Amino acid sequence: MVKLSNLQQYYFIHRYALRDISRSYKKLWVISATLFISLLLLSLTFSVKESMNKEIDLNSKELLGGDIEINSGIESLQDVIYERLSKLGQISQTVSLATMLSKKGDSSVFIDLRAVDNSYPLYGEMKTMPTNAGQELSLATKKPTVLINENIQNQLQLNIGDEVVIMGQDFSVGGVISSVPELAQSVVFGEFAIINIAQFNEFNLGSRDSFLNYDYRLKLNKSSDESLQIERVKSILVGDKSLSIRLPKDSGQSLRRIIDNFANFLNLVSVSAMIIAGIGISNTLLAFVNQRNISIAVKKSLGFSSKVIQFIYFYEILLILVFTSILAYCIGVMSPLIVNDLIPKSFDLELQTSFSIIGYLNIFFIGLLVVLIFTIPSLYSISEIKAVALFRNTFQPVSLHFSAKNIFYLTLFVILLVGYFVFQTEQQFFTFLYFMAFLITIFIFYGVSIFIISILKHSFNVSSNSYRIAYRNIVAKKSLAPIMTISLGIGLTLLLTLSFVANNLKNEISQSIPSMAPDMFFVSINKDEKENLESYIKSIDPNVELEFSPMTSASFIALNGIPIEQIVTGENRSSWIVQGDRRISWLEKPNQDNPIVRGEWWDPGIQDQMFISMDSRAAFDLGMKLNDKITLNILGRDVVGTVKNFRKVDYRDISINFAIIINKAFADKLPYEYIGTLKSDLSTDAIQSQVIGKFPHISAIKIDRILSKIGEVLNKIFLAVTGISLIVIVIGLIVIVSAVMVQATFRRYNNLIYKILGVNFPTILKAMTLEFALIYLSLIVFALSVAILGSYYIVENTLMLSWSFDLNLTLWIVFSTAAVSFVLILITNRNIFSPKVYPLIRNE
Amino acid sequence: MNAAIQFKDVSLTYGSGTDLVKVLNNITFSVKEDEVVSIVGPSGSGKTSIIMLASGLERATQGSITIRGQEITNLKENKLSDIRRKNIGIVFQSFYLIPNLTALENVLLSLEANQKYNLDNEARLLLDEFGLSHRIHHLPSELSGGEQQRVAIARALINRPRIILADEPTGNLDSVNSNSMIELLFDYAKKSETALVLVTHDNSLASRCDRIIELKDGEIV
Repeated sequence: MVKLSNLQQYYFIHRYALRDISRSYKKLWVISATLFISLLLLSLTFSVKESMNKEIDLNSKELLGGDIEINSGIESLQDVIYERLSKLGQISQTVSLATMLSKKGDSSVFIDLRAVDNSYPLYGEMKTMPTNAGQELSLATKKPTVLINENIQNQLQLNIGDEVVIMGQDFSVGGVISSVPELAQSVVFGEFAIINIAQFNEFNLGSRDSFLNYDYRLKLNKSSDESLQIERVKSILVGDKSLSIRLPKDSGQSLRRIIDNFANFLNLVSVSAMIIAGIGISNTLLAFVNQRNISIAVKKSLGFSSKVIQFIYFYEILLILVFTSILAYCIGVMSPLIVNDLIPKSFDLELQTSFSIIGYLNIFFIGLLVVLIFTIPSLYSISEIKAVALFRNTFQPVSLHFSAKNIFYLTLFVILLVGYFVFQTEQQFFTFLYFMAFLITIFIFYGVSIFIISILKHSFNVSSNSYRIAYRNIVAKKSLAPIMTISLGIGLTLLLTLSFVANNLKNEISQSIPSMAPDMFFVSINKDEKENLESYIKSIDPNVELEFSPMTSASFIALNGIPIEQIVTGENRSSWIVQGDRRISWLEKPNQDNPIVRGEWWDPGIQDQMFISMDSRAAFDLGMKLNDKITLNILGRDVVGTVKNFRKVDYRDISINFAIIINKAFADKLPYEYIGTLKSDLSTDAIQSQVIGKFPHISAIKIDRILSKIGEVLNKIFLAVTGISLIVIVIGLIVIVSAVMVQATFRRYNNLIYKILGVNFPTILKAMTLEFALIYLSLIVFALSVAILGSYYIVENTLMLSWSFDLNLTLWIVFSTAAVSFVLILITNRNIFSPKVYPLIRNE
Repeated sequence: MNAAIQFKDVSLTYGSGTDLVKVLNNITFSVKEDEVVSIVGPSGSGKTSIIMLASGLERATQGSITIRGQEITNLKENKLSDIRRKNIGIVFQSFYLIPNLTALENVLLSLEANQKYNLDNEARLLLDEFGLSHRIHHLPSELSGGEQQRVAIARALINRPRIILADEPTGNLDSVNSNSMIELLFDYAKKSETALVLVTHDNSLASRCDRIIELKDGEIV
C-alpha cells in the first residue's frame, strides 16, 4: 500500500474520500447495506454470547447452588464425610429422581422430582407463585406439599391446593415454580417438581432400586481464603472415586455449550453472508472503477500514481466499513435488552449490555479482512487504466486484476480469516470443513456460470429473437450469470441443505420412530414386582407386547487399568457412556436386534468372571479392542471384566438398548431392577393410569409425549436456523440487484438499439425472463445436487438416520426464491424497458 | 535557451509481426523553453502520439526523449508521474473534467497531485482571471463547453508548468470560444516563457505559432 509522505497528504485523501462518498453514495449503497447486514449479524452473535457468558460468570454460585457441589451418585454421602463437611460451612442436600405424579383419580405425568432440605437454596432464590410457597415445604404440621412447574400444571390442569399422588403418597399442590437458582433444564423444558426431603424419606426407596441422584451443596464459612477451604473439602473427599465435585466455574456448562454451538453456527452464517457481500463489494467496486475510468485517467495525467488513486478508493471503503461496523456494533451491544424478552422466564437470566473496545475491534477486524480480500482485485484494476486513453477517447472496461502479488495477499487474508474463526471455536475441525466446503462451493458455482455460457455458445442457432437477446446477454462480457450463480447459488444451497436435514429429522421424529418404538416405558420395577406387573398388564390387554430387561447401576472406572478420564475427553462422541452412573444389563444369549460385529458370545454358566459386550460404535470411539480389561464400579464395588465382543446397537427405535451388557451368570448375584416396554392397541392413557394406580412406585412414560416434546423443540430450532440462513439469501439478492443496477446503463443502451431496430416490449420481456430462467435453472441443478449430497452425508453419517427427498419442500423453496429474485430484478430493471432516445443521441 | 522537449530518432510502433503498425518513425525535433510550436498533419499522421510520448504517458519503442534535460525514455511509472507533475500541463480536446468535482475542486486537484494543499485562493484567482469567478462551485455538467475548457486550462496551468501540451484544445468549441481559449494559452506561454506544443488541424491557428512541425505517415515532412 502507498506510503503517505505527510499528514497533509493523508488529510487530502481523507477529505477527497469523504467528498466522493457524499457525492456518490447512491453508487456505494450496496457496499454499505451488505456490509452492515452481515456485520450486524456478527455483532448480534458476539454481543449476546458475551452477555450470556458474563451473566453465567456473575451468577456462577447461584447456578451451582453453593460454593462447591458434591455428587455422590445413587448413594447418599457417608455420615462421617457429611460431619466433616458440615464443619466447613452450611450443607444443603438434594435428591433427584424420575417418577410419576398423578392427579388424584385422573391422569399421570412422568416428572423430574427433587427433594430438598430446609437449607435449600443456599444461594439465590426459588421463585414461586404464591411467593411464599417455598416455605410451605418445610412446615411439618401441614399436609405434605409439592411445588410443581407450569408444564405439570398445564398438563394435569392443576390448581393450588389440589391433591396429587407421588409414589403412592398424597401431596397437596403448594405452588407453581417459576425458576430455581441452579437453572434446572427440566424447569424450563420438562416436568419438574420439588418436595421436602422428609417426605422423600417416607418413600423408603433403596438406592439400588431407583434412579436416585444425591447432590450436596456447601456454602463455606466466611474466610479470606476460599481456595484454601475448597482444598480442605477436596482433602476430605479424596480417595472416594464415587464422588465428583463441581465448582462455580463449572456451572452452567451445558448452557454455555449450547450458546457456544449456536454462536458458532451464527458466526459461520454471518461470515458466509459477509463473503457473499464481499462478492457484491468486489463487483460494485469494479463497476465504480469502470464508471470512473476517465476521472482515474485524468488523475493519472495530473501526476497521481496508481497507488495513491487505489488508496483513495480503498480509504472510501474503509470509511464505510468504520461507519457500518460502529453502527452494527452499537445495535449489537443493545441487543441483549431485546434478547431478555425472548429468554424463558424460568431461566431467570437478565442479560446486560456491555460495550468493549476488544469486542468492536473483533467485528471490525473480520470486516476488514473480508473487505481486503474482495477489494484488492478490483482496486488493482486501476493500474490497467491508462491516461493515454484520454487522447484517443478509447476506454476499455477493466477486469479483476490477479497478479502473483495479489494472489499472495489474497491467500494470506483468506488464511487469516479462516484461522480467526477456526481458532475461536471448540469445533475447529467442523469450522474448517465448513470454510473449505464454502470456498469449494464458490468455485463450483463460478464453474457453473462458465459452463452455462459455454453450453449456450454451442446452441446459438435458435430462431427466436427473445432467445437470441437472452443468449447475447448471458454470454456478454458483463453478464449477470457469474454473480447471480455465485451469490444466489450459495444462499440457496445453504437453505436447501438445512431444510433437507431439518425435514429428515422431523420425519424421523414424527413418522419413522413412532412406527418402530414401543408405546410406553416402565421404569423402577422392583424385581419382585415384575411378575405381578406383567400379569396385570396382560389382564388389561391380552394381546399386549411386553419386553422386560434386568438392569443395575455401574460407572466406568478404567480401561486396561488406566483411569478412563485420562483416555476419554468430553469432546468424544461416546463420552456419555463413561460419565457418571450408567445402567447395564445382562443376557444369556445374544439379542437378534443387536448383532455381534466382532468377537464371540461367551459360554454360559461362568459365575466368577465378568464378560462384557460393548456397543461397537462406542468401542470404536473409546479405542477399545477385544479382550481389553474394563473396570466397572457396580454398586460401590470395582469389578474388572473382559471385553468379549462388539454389538451393533441401533438406538433409533427407542426400544430397550444397553451400551454395556455383561454375562448373566456373573450378574445373577447382583441386586437389580427391571425396565420394561409395552406395545398395545389400547389407549396408553388408560393403561398408564391403571398401572400407576396399582403400582405407585413404578413410572410409566408415554413415548408419544416425549417425541412430541422433541418435535416441538426441533421445530423451533430449525425455524430459527432456517430464518437465519435466509439472511444469506437476502444478501445474495442485494448483490444481484446491485449487479443489475451496475448493468442498467449498458442494458438501457442495448434496449434502445433494439427499440430503434423495431423489437417490441414483449420480446424484450420474454428475453429477460428466458435469461433469468436459463441462469436460475442451471444454478438450481447444482445447488440441489450440493444440498442433496451435503444433507445426505449429515443425515446418514452424522445423525445416523435414513435420508429421504421431499419434492414438495424442494419445489416450494425453489419457486419462491425464483419468484422473489425475478420480481426484484424486474423492479430494478423497470427503467430499461422504456429507454429515452434523446440522451443516447446527445451521448449523455 | 535550453530545450524543453527533445526527441531524437524516436519511433513508436504497436503490435508485432504482420500486425505491426508504425505510428512514428525516427522523429527528431526539439522545442525551446519559451517556444510555441504547433504540430499539424492529417488524421493518423502521429500528432497526438507525440504529445503522449512527450507527457510520459506512452513509452517510445525506440529513440530518446528528454524533458528539460532529463532523459525519460526508461524511467519508471512513479518517476514519470513526478516529472509530469512538476513540469507539464496537459489540455485535452474533450476537457476531461472530473464530473463529481466542482470547477474549483478540479483545479485544486492539480495542486494536490503536487502535494500543494490549502491553496484555494490561488485557484480562485486563476479562475477569476479566466472569467469563471461566478462558476467556481458549479459541477462540470452545469458549465458550457467553453467554460469547461477554461477550467481544464486553469487545471493545466495552476502548477505553473514549464511545458504545456495541448491536444486540439479548440476541437470541441465554436470559433468565439476557440479564440478566447487560444488567447489564454498564448498569453500564459508568452508571459511565463513556457513551451507550448499545440496539436491542431486549424492552419490559421498553426500559423500564429513560432514554428510548425508537419507530420505525414509518422514522419516529419
